[in-house]
Amino acid sequence: MSDQDTLDDELIRTKAWDSKLLWRLMGWARPHRLHFLLSAAILVALFAVALAGPYIWRLALDGPVREITEGGTDRKGALEHLYVLAAVYGLLVVAHGFLSYFEVAQLARTGQLVIHDLRSKLFAHIQSLDLSFVDERPTGSLVTRVTTDVENLSELFTSGLLVLFFDLFKILALVAILFWINLDLALVVASLTPVLIIVSMLFRGGARRGFREVRAHLARLNGYLQEVLSGVRVVQVFHREQRVSRRFNSLLQPYLQANLKTLLLFSLFFPAISLTVFAIQGTALKVGGGQLITGELEFGAFYQFWIYLAMLVNPIRELGERYNVLQAAFASAERVFAIFDTRPSISKQSEFAAAVSETPIEHLVSFEHVSFAYIENTPVLDDVCFKIPRGHTVAIVGPTGAGKSTIVNLLQRFRDPDAGRLIFDGHDLRGLDPRELRSACGLVLQDEFLFEGSVRENLVMGREAVTEQSLQRALDMSHARDVIERLPNGLEEVLHERASQLSTGERQLLTIARALAGDPKLVILDEATSSVDSATEARIEAATRNLLAGRSALVIAHRLSTIERANHILVLHRGEIRESGTHEELLLLGGLYARLYDLQFTEADEVLEP
Amino acid sequence: MKLLVSFFRRFLRHPWKLLGGFIAIPLNRLADILVTLTIGAALNELQDGAADGVLTRAVTLVAIYAISQAVLSFAQRWWIVSTSRIVEIDLKRELFDKLTSLPFSFHNRSRSGDVVSRLTSDVENLRMFLGPGMMFAFGSLVMLPVTLVLLIRLDATLALTMALPLAVMGGGFRLLTPRLHAASKDVQEGLADISHRAQENFAGVRVVKGFAREEHQADRFEEASRINRDRQIRLAHQRGLAHTLAGTSSQVTFVVILLLGGRAMIDGTLGYGDTLVFIDLTLKLFWPIIALGWLAGMYPRATASAQRVEEILATEPEISDGQDPIALPETRGEFRLRDVSFTYPGAERPALEGLDVFIPAGSRFGVVGPTGCGKSTLLNLFGRLYDAEGEIDLDSVPIKRLALEDLRSPLGYVPQDSFLFSDTWAENVAFGSDEPIDDARLVDLAEIVCMTDELAQFPDGARELIGERGVTLSGGQRQRTCIARALAREPQVLILDDALSAVDTETETRLIEHLRGAAGSCTVLIATHRLSSVRETDQILVLDAEGRTEALGTHEELLEGDGWYARTWAQQQTRAELEEL
Repeated sequence: MSDQDTLDDELIRTKAWDSKLLWRLMGWARPHRLHFLLSAAILVALFAVALAGPYIWRLALDGPVREITEGGTDRKGALEHLYVLAAVYGLLVVAHGFLSYFEVAQLARTGQLVIHDLRSKLFAHIQSLDLSFVDERPTGSLVTRVTTDVENLSELFTSGLLVLFFDLFKILALVAILFWINLDLALVVASLTPVLIIVSMLFRGGARRGFREVRAHLARLNGYLQEVLSGVRVVQVFHREQRVSRRFNSLLQPYLQANLKTLLLFSLFFPAISLTVFAIQGTALKVGGGQLITGELEFGAFYQFWIYLAMLVNPIRELGERYNVLQAAFASAERVFAIFDTRPSISKQSEFAAAVSETPIEHLVSFEHVSFAYIENTPVLDDVCFKIPRGHTVAIVGPTGAGKSTIVNLLQRFRDPDAGRLIFDGHDLRGLDPRELRSACGLVLQDEFLFEGSVRENLVMGREAVTEQSLQRALDMSHARDVIERLPNGLEEVLHERASQLSTGERQLLTIARALAGDPKLVILDEATSSVDSATEARIEAATRNLLAGRSALVIAHRLSTIERANHILVLHRGEIRESGTHEELLLLGGLYARLYDLQFTEADEVLEP
Repeated sequence: MKLLVSFFRRFLRHPWKLLGGFIAIPLNRLADILVTLTIGAALNELQDGAADGVLTRAVTLVAIYAISQAVLSFAQRWWIVSTSRIVEIDLKRELFDKLTSLPFSFHNRSRSGDVVSRLTSDVENLRMFLGPGMMFAFGSLVMLPVTLVLLIRLDATLALTMALPLAVMGGGFRLLTPRLHAASKDVQEGLADISHRAQENFAGVRVVKGFAREEHQADRFEEASRINRDRQIRLAHQRGLAHTLAGTSSQVTFVVILLLGGRAMIDGTLGYGDTLVFIDLTLKLFWPIIALGWLAGMYPRATASAQRVEEILATEPEISDGQDPIALPETRGEFRLRDVSFTYPGAERPALEGLDVFIPAGSRFGVVGPTGCGKSTLLNLFGRLYDAEGEIDLDSVPIKRLALEDLRSPLGYVPQDSFLFSDTWAENVAFGSDEPIDDARLVDLAEIVCMTDELAQFPDGARELIGERGVTLSGGQRQRTCIARALAREPQVLILDDALSAVDTETETRLIEHLRGAAGSCTVLIATHRLSSVRETDQILVLDAEGRTEALGTHEELLEGDGWYARTWAQQQTRAELEEL
């Protein structure tokens, strides 16, 4: 089922020509229009030079050569005339050489300039979108947007659009010149050229569909390969090498079939084109030959005609290919623009910008009757109210699925609540720029994500607020200094993908250091559940204590030490706050918290006193 | 080059198509040349004042040649390129099988993206070069000498002078090729960097946004994109040079034809038709020469790709069936470790050192210790994901003497990373079983791993697609699915590598109870952080941070000491189950 989805996704029909899309693409080209103009100028000059060559042939054959062959005697004069023409021709060739160098270089430069802009802006735009946008999509598909799709567009700007228009111009210009040379011959060409164009266009449609199919199958193939590679341990222990091989093979077959289908088209296309060209040449010979006998046509003109004819075929043959580039680019452009058209739904809303005056300022954060559901009618949070006084730690405990992460998501404004409101530092969250809000927070997540790059880069992350001093302090307070001292290059050590040279615990310490370095107003801590050895555990505990000391903090707590030390504990169950108070109060309350807590310790006692 | 030849041998597995193709190539070129010669001859006769009949005959001949050329050109492309496609998938299959057979140490070393690119771009480079590339090259190599001989017969001086610029072009390409290669390698690396950065940022979006570092990261990405842009432009300059070289050389031949041919015509030694043959054949030589240049440009990439592909194919799985494997049709599941040590390749210190354990068949064996002490490594040794020093015996046979299949078939393995396929839940579970499993068994397995209720909530139940395109399972659900997969195997040895860490305590208790029933007579090996998981085992191996035995005993015995186990147990008792509170 999923395979079909990918296929369908890949086979989305795009319009053959979409001028609105094109216009938008042109918008990206506009800042570099001088480069485009230069490219166009080079193309025109190159064409002019290319046209001049055959004309010189005509001048030579119908001039000095003909003079002598028709009985002239001034051999020396004729030769001199010929040499002059050859010298001019030589100069043209030199010009042609230079121009064709600049053609390639300049077209590529122009395209790359546009593409760099587009790629950078696209990436920045994706980064600016809601968390859910990125979260809900497979990472690979977003990567494809900034890689493959952007590269398809690069084809459009380097070899697509400009060259396509210019090829059309060439075809028209050449046909016009043929008419000027000889009406009858030109009519032969003009009557058969449409056949060439039809063949080329018919082919293009098929080839495009074919390529898409191939790409879709290839994507499936590579997806499966990637998956098997990441699970190769399981494959081997379960001794399933043959089974996955069969599956891979079953994905290879449709890929091969799709390729063969496309190949068949190509195999038919090239002979069809050359056959048509031969038909033109044969007819031209018949018609032109007759005229050569009667003397209506001179040999030089026939030569010129012959060479122009060869020049005409290539742009026509390429027409289909250019068009395909355009198609691929349109399809990619559509996907890329769909992203550009997505706006972050979370932004500063001016109607909430004013400070909420009635909120007592001693609370840094208040949740006021907050309800939220990811899917309609299945509330994850229901009428949640609590406050985080300045300098206090509020711990949330509760089973998986109670809504703990959702509270963090709301507080960071990755989502807006369906009902109720959140107040941060006297402001409705919706009236704040989310980036400003998040800058004020120090975040420690469960999955201890670190970037490839130096430790320093990871801790500083380009934040202006992080100074050398605050960094060093953070290292001490987070107990991460030992981790760094153990690394050969200390802070400058370059971390691998997923910081694989560090243990889980060490990574956790670094993420605590990262949060501390920014000296955050509010700490948001989602304690990791993965167990680490006791020495590291002790360090993490101490680091956590330092992180929370004197700061306002919201903690999804898993460590007893963290829970006990919290100023306030909320017991969250199925999206509702069931109990709240200090550790002692909750124990006294004898509710959910106390029951579970007691259970742990009586059980432990039984074990400890056998 | 030698490597490329060895890859080309794969084409010989399809001899008839290849032969047909390689016969069609010269014939096709010949038909093409004959068209030109016919037209040239006709023009010469016209110049000499021939009658209309000449034209009719010439046009008929052109038609015959043209049609043969079309048919041959179809045949050549279809036969040769389709063979290259078949070779491509053969090669992919071979690589895939090789990859799945290589030990985990290989996969640990290599980035999976890199390996995927060997199977895609490298195989494609090879195919392009050896399939279409060779086809064009052969065509060109036929076309060039034949044309040259024909032209020499018409006018030797002209033909030989004309060949000069072509020779210059050949030399020029030799000089340009390494630069083109270097530039395009830079571009490839730049693109890989872009893709890698994007991947990392999208995967870590929560951190990027959580710290409001969108702009900072975007700047860094822009830098990578800029580097790529500049490299692309540099590459284009090299390409421009190549383009000019090819174009100018062919243009210079036209100047030569005009100069020398024109003179010969003035002298009357060359007819109009002959000169047209010169021009037309030069035009027809243009593409073959470009093709040769293209092939020359492709050559270094193809050799580099060949090396990378060969590197994988030539890697021998260090871990394979033992020599004269001892058959072990029935496994009891008794393990004995004698002085077992293991050092990761390239590591300075051993990960495990001097372990001696006897694990009776059907017993439960726990491995605990601080993070990084080698618990997972030890479990990996039982299935020979790595080969250890010292000796590990299964049912008194050294595991290195067993066929891998005999060793691994009785193992039910639950990996630490809870790897699952993007497939249905049922398919994932069935992956463990040698036979297709029926619905009743699926229901049983779901019950054992406490997933009945959760499966019922999925729209398609056990047939629900899980993974990226389906429902996202929680960590605990993934782990339990992995356990179901291992149980589907009806294992004699169940290996649980930290397999319950994300399962909540209540479920864990139920699950362990179910497992006790389901695992039956099976030997159970458990590595875990959570000591409550090994409490009921028959013996517990405590490893110290250096991977040596700190203690070995039952839960009760270990508690009596004041070692790592007793300390950690006390700590965890106060902590562990509150996690799920």
